[in-house]
Amino acid sequence: MLIIFACEKDDICSEATATTPQLVVRFYDALILEDTKTVPSLFVYGINDASETVFFNNITISTTDSIAIPLRTDNNITKLVFHKDLVEISDLLVGNPDTVDINYAREDVYVSRACGYKTIYTGLGATLTVDADNWITNITIENNTLENENAAHINISH
Amino acid sequence: MKMQRISTYLTSTLTVLLMSFSVGAQNDSIANDSIRYAQKYGLRLGGDVSKLVRSFVDDDYTGFEINGDYRLSKNLYIAGELGTEEKTTDYDYVNSTTQGSYFKGGIDYNLYQNWFGMENMIYSGFRAGFGTFNQTLNSYTIFDTNGQPWGNQTTVSDGTKQSGLTAIWGELILGVKAETLNNLYVGFNIQLKGRITETEPDNFENLYIPGFGRTYDSGNFSVSFGYNISYLIPLFKKDK
Repeated sequence: MLIIFACEKDDICSEATATTPQLVVRFYDALILEDTKTVPSLFVYGINDASETVFFNNITISTTDSIAIPLRTDNNITKLVFHKDLVEISDLLVGNPDTVDINYAREDVYVSRACGYKTIYTGLGATLTVDADNWITNITIENNTLENENAAHINISH
Repeated sequence: MKMQRISTYLTSTLTVLLMSFSVGAQNDSIANDSIRYAQKYGLRLGGDVSKLVRSFVDDDYTGFEINGDYRLSKNLYIAGELGTEEKTTDYDYVNSTTQGSYFKGGIDYNLYQNWFGMENMIYSGFRAGFGTFNQTLNSYTIFDTNGQPWGNQTTVSDGTKQSGLTAIWGELILGVKAETLNNLYVGFNIQLKGRITETEPDNFENLYIPGFGRTYDSGNFSVSFGYNISYLIPLFKKDK
């Protein structure tokens, strides 16, 4: 009686669609501010409301000068740990972890019927938790609106 | 010899006479048999049965449509539909409810050469459609595959209702109407629709338009079907 158009392309969110963007962080040399500087054996993970560590699918330990990190879509603060010189010794993570709170305002923007909504972040801010041995010397906000992943939003010098 | 000639003459004359008589008789019989069938003219009113059935069967749908046509000439009808629909559309990441009413007006043209005494239709027509409606965004999910380690993808129960939405579209119709009982017609039609203009809700889009049907990302087109039962109120009869 009624023809049902099942499983059309309309119903599947294409991977090429720009959905919720990630935070792009670039690392700079604290002495020569124009130069990017790689962080040896960097691992980034999150801390959730229950103070548990949260590992991201696309982040592995690497020596890099830039990284993309997913922010929370349900909270205006994302707590991240930038762990430098990470080595695993008998199930213990050793190295130098620095905790950074990323704060922002969220706005949900319609994408399509298949992809639903995406979150864009505005009024980006970052706060470094001071500890006995911070490897991060300074954090600057390069672009306080996070709408895409085309350029860095936050610069970290070390 | 002479007699034979005369008889031949007579016979041929008779034959000619007879023939002319029979031709004359034929003419007469045509004149006598041509009882012209007077065709019924009037207002035909009905409803879309498929929308009623679907309202009972489908929890996400409520709809009602009355339709009518008025015969202008042998093959030309002025036709229109008036209806109301409420539809909840559920995708993986978006759930919304559209509610509103519509009016469609245009003409139908009968392409079918009826047998004597019958008044069925195989018709083609066009409509201009106008819908006014509201759309409620019941809930949405934020598409964020990278952020899934933070927990499940965030679903927001929004409930924002946006009113005063409108749409205008054109339709091509192809259908049949058959007289099953005296003055009672059963019909089926297929409607090809092209959207001309619409007002979109803020930060969302129209997933369904009453009278038009569901929308597609791929274009402004849509297809619907109608099953109608209608009754002809005969007002007068005409030879043609």
